Amino acid sequence: MMTFEELEHTADVRMKITAPSLLDLFVESGFALAEILYGEYQKEPETISFPIEAKGNEVVESIVNFLSELLFLTETEYLVPVSFDLAAEGCVVSGVVAGVLFDRTKHTGGIEVKGISYSGISLAKTAAGYELIIIFDI
Amino acid sequence: MNVQIQHISDTEWKIPMGFVPGMLVPGTFFLSRQLAERLEEGALIQLANVATLPGILRCSLGMPDIHWGYGFPIGGVAAFDEDDGIISPGGVGFDINCGVRMITTPLTMADITDMNGLIEDLFTTVPSGVGSKSPTRLTQNDLSNILTDGLASAVELGYGMEDDARRCEENGTMIEADLEFVSKKARERGIPQCGTLGSGNHFLEVQVIDEIVDPKTASVFGVTEGQICVMIHCGSRGLGHQVCTDHLKVLEGAMMKYNIDPPDRQLACAPLFSLEGEAYFGAMAASANYAWANRQIITHLVRELLVKKFDVAYEEMPLVYDVAHNVAKWEDHEIADTAACRRHVCVHRKGATRAFGPGRSEIVREFRNTGQPVIIPGSMGTPSYLLAGTMTAMERTFGSTCHGAGRILSRSSAKRNLTGVAVVNELAKRGIVVRAPNTTTIAEEAPDVYKPSSEVVQIAHDAGISRIVARLRPLGVIKG
Repeated sequence: MMTFEELEHTADVRMKITAPSLLDLFVESGFALAEILYGEYQKEPETISFPIEAKGNEVVESIVNFLSELLFLTETEYLVPVSFDLAAEGCVVSGVVAGVLFDRTKHTGGIEVKGISYSGISLAKTAAGYELIIIFDI
Repeated sequence: MNVQIQHISDTEWKIPMGFVPGMLVPGTFFLSRQLAERLEEGALIQLANVATLPGILRCSLGMPDIHWGYGFPIGGVAAFDEDDGIISPGGVGFDINCGVRMITTPLTMADITDMNGLIEDLFTTVPSGVGSKSPTRLTQNDLSNILTDGLASAVELGYGMEDDARRCEENGTMIEADLEFVSKKARERGIPQCGTLGSGNHFLEVQVIDEIVDPKTASVFGVTEGQICVMIHCGSRGLGHQVCTDHLKVLEGAMMKYNIDPPDRQLACAPLFSLEGEAYFGAMAASANYAWANRQIITHLVRELLVKKFDVAYEEMPLVYDVAHNVAKWEDHEIADTAACRRHVCVHRKGATRAFGPGRSEIVREFRNTGQPVIIPGSMGTPSYLLAGTMTAMERTFGSTCHGAGRILSRSSAKRNLTGVAVVNELAKRGIVVRAPNTTTIAEEAPDVYKPSSEVVQIAHDAGISRIVARLRPLGVIKG
């Protein structure tokens, strides 16, 4: 099962994100970011898509960079993500994110994210896969 | 409260050396006993972590609205030595020069016969929330001018009055801005967002001055009881956020070169006079300039609406002051415990307000005898305050005070315990109109999730790091 849940944090949004594989962890992290931005939303058929690539010296850095790239696309292209088609090689993840254009009548319930924080970030291997703890600055 | 924390006085607490490994100075924070009991361990650790950074002077400081953030705690202040100090985006935050300003109007309560209508019109006029776009059509050249000249550039484009710059911290321009270090990505995010409020704790509030505590200073600041005012709280939008993201990456990579290993990765930093440190400082200053222009454009939109709705003159709505909350700046301070000399230091304020006292040359002449105006916003249902900077702040906190009430409840707790609709209805019963793109933000920003603003401001006043001049009651709020 892939999932994310919000943990306690006074000022910002702290998330626990779990996934069976590292690649899935990137995808779930992307959807976690999208849910903070737009609340829960209907995944409609994709109408727009963009290439996305991120790398880092280690996986955590790649995830932070991936989420920062996705945040950039949401703000400059008004992209609401619906699906990710990603491949990973070492600490480089690349592929395509597809979705729909932001619609104020449909994508309500969210809050802007300012950045992806390294503060208190952790990545752990679990029996079920991987678990990431990460703070989104809002 | 953690047993290691020492209670110094009614409003002051000390984190001793050794609270976390590698502390170079102790930590000090200002809170009442009651609020100190509720302070998160995470905020204490973050305050202590800051004390490990190279070149930190005197102590790592927490203002009365201190709470758990990332990197520095929110409400964190630290000054770094010119020779061996560092600069860190973690001491500024993603929202560079998030700040607050206040304008007065010639209107009184009697003039506002339809507050719902006014708030609705303001909501339509000032873009807010996720995905909002500015009504301005900035060119790349306009943006370059804004990044270089800040508020003055917005005024040149027709958004405001020349006198506005005088009533702004740094006159609305950090001259150290260096466009070379603002990425194309940051510019792409910045162009469509200049003149937008954003979301989260950003707001636009219509208020009435309901108590003057210090009539003499209030008169100098140009505020009177019963006056309708407008307060605007926002920052450098996606441009500043991208600058922070870009430079964190660079600084992370540079730390090994400078043999710096902070206890929190979000405290990535570099020596002040290094390629990486100077690049961040230049880009941060440009983002601060953008934030001042952003608040200036919003102010213009508000003034234009009020002119149209109430037939008041544009010039009758002067800026009282504009203060930055998230910024690092070069300032001169007396470092009493280092041979009583005046030093040029880099002061980081993250969720804190400059509160310069009387006599400082940085303050516009008319405020030089009173200390600078300090604006402390409340939380939708609680009052905001106008204060003045003090000499005690100069001596104790590098001329700093709190920036708001400070959260005590997490956003997830707020959402579990409150609904936006219930908060709106409760505030309506108290005569406060709230408007937002969605009700989730309203629940997350409900008055109950913050410390009572009056308590926090009273601590700042009692500790002497700023003094209360006037209280403002909220009438209508737009949340992003």
